[in-house]
Amino acid sequence: VKSVFSIALGILAAIGGFVDIGDIVFNVAAGATFGYQLLWAVVVGVGGIITYAEMCGRVAAVSGAAVFDAVRERLGFGVGLIALVAAELVNLLTIAAEIGGVAIVLQLLSGLPYRLLLVLAVLALALVLWLMPFQWIERVFGYCGLALLVFAVAAIKLHPDWGAVAHGFVPSTGSGNGWVYAYFVVGLVGAAMIPYEVYFYSSGAVEEQWTAKDLGVNRANVLVGYSLGGVLSFALMISAGALLLPQGIQAELLGTVALVAEAPLGQIGLILALVGALAAISGAAIDSSFSGAYSIAQFFGWEWGKYRHNSGAPRFTLAWMVMLVLGFLIVVTGVDPILVTELSVIFSVVALPLTYVPILLVANDRAYMGRYANGRFANLAGGFYLLVVFVIAVAAVPLLLLSNMGQG
Amino acid sequence: MSSAFDLGLGVLDHPLVDSEGRRCGKVDDLELEGVRDGNPRVAAILTGPSAWSGRGRIGRVLAAVVRGRLVRIPWSEVDGLDSAVHLRKTAKELGLGRGDDRAAKLVERIPGSSL
Repeated sequence: VKSVFSIALGILAAIGGFVDIGDIVFNVAAGATFGYQLLWAVVVGVGGIITYAEMCGRVAAVSGAAVFDAVRERLGFGVGLIALVAAELVNLLTIAAEIGGVAIVLQLLSGLPYRLLLVLAVLALALVLWLMPFQWIERVFGYCGLALLVFAVAAIKLHPDWGAVAHGFVPSTGSGNGWVYAYFVVGLVGAAMIPYEVYFYSSGAVEEQWTAKDLGVNRANVLVGYSLGGVLSFALMISAGALLLPQGIQAELLGTVALVAEAPLGQIGLILALVGALAAISGAAIDSSFSGAYSIAQFFGWEWGKYRHNSGAPRFTLAWMVMLVLGFLIVVTGVDPILVTELSVIFSVVALPLTYVPILLVANDRAYMGRYANGRFANLAGGFYLLVVFVIAVAAVPLLLLSNMGQG
Repeated sequence: MSSAFDLGLGVLDHPLVDSEGRRCGKVDDLELEGVRDGNPRVAAILTGPSAWSGRGRIGRVLAAVVRGRLVRIPWSEVDGLDSAVHLRKTAKELGLGRGDDRAAKLVERIPGSSL
């Protein structure tokens, strides 16, 4: 039996672990461009990740099957393989973006050259992946990521027009360039629902040997953890909207993000923002590297899991190493990590239906799930979000082009 | 017959787990017998890259490229079914999990591999 204390610790880690470079980039850019008008899109995205992470966690707890087990069982070998390749390509972009993000934050902290910091970042990440036990990784980075709460303080200190903030939670077509607005909607929803999070979450549930007894923990984790994670996203968008929009500053660099906390709170705000971003982005780099390895190992039936020592799941271990190296090779070319971030989020949206359809099918299968199969509410939410995901998947690439990547 | 069982959903593409709880492949294909005499049953599980050739165009191409092994596990070796197919013997006895065994030799050379 897990104590309330350990459940609370898990939730705290989930809050800190929610935000990654995609969330930071899209929320700050959306705030700088449209003020508070897009807050509702974050709510939509958070609802989506809650719906599907809950399903994945429940499937994992009841049946022991992780996401890519379900994908292969439901889509078969051929289509399943297409889903795997799509997921891995997107994942690689995500890893590249996160490694680049880690290096940028390190550069802001140290002033050392970016490429050197890329090398240091990838070595440090590999060392953490190799040495740290699963729960530690999840917790350490999750807790340090809570430093991002400094943006909530910054948001309040910047005295936003709270009426306008409240108005932002009501879906609207927005004012300004319509294509750019729509592009940000897709980006914000996509960043919140970025697929590696559900691969990682469901595989983690199997790693921690959840059973039907853990379904309460599952629900608490996703509901409270992701909702409060969403609050971090709100804080980023609100403080960017209060500070950057009136001054016409575009948020193209992560340095601008740190400025958002520094302006109202001074040095301490700056440091907390950078430490929080470093932890959150490093954690995401680790999670996404693992996710890539989980997915391929589950698809082909290799032994997998961090709970086995490194040589106990050797192809899995080699897989995350290869992922990390390939991600590094992408950013070390000098390509702008912010560009890679946007592309990773937009293309992940395109790949989302391929993983969400099989999950919804498995979660509904009574032969598999027994009395823990989806109820009416889970299916209503699941169906709604499948529709959302299909619409944004179709719209994603055209909007990328029509909005000139959000530049208008 | 008790109740209908869907082999396509309930067995095909499910993970194989050996008698020691080790994950050792997937049900890549199934070998049926007695289809003509009206008494069809599963004779064996087929696993390994060569078994992909029976899985559509993509499987055929990939099987030809990888040219891996094909392991046939008689259905009598199946101990039980849940979301995985549990086997009565160890992976080693059945000739499974060789890819992981090979990769383990590589990974074990790195210090700290047993952490």
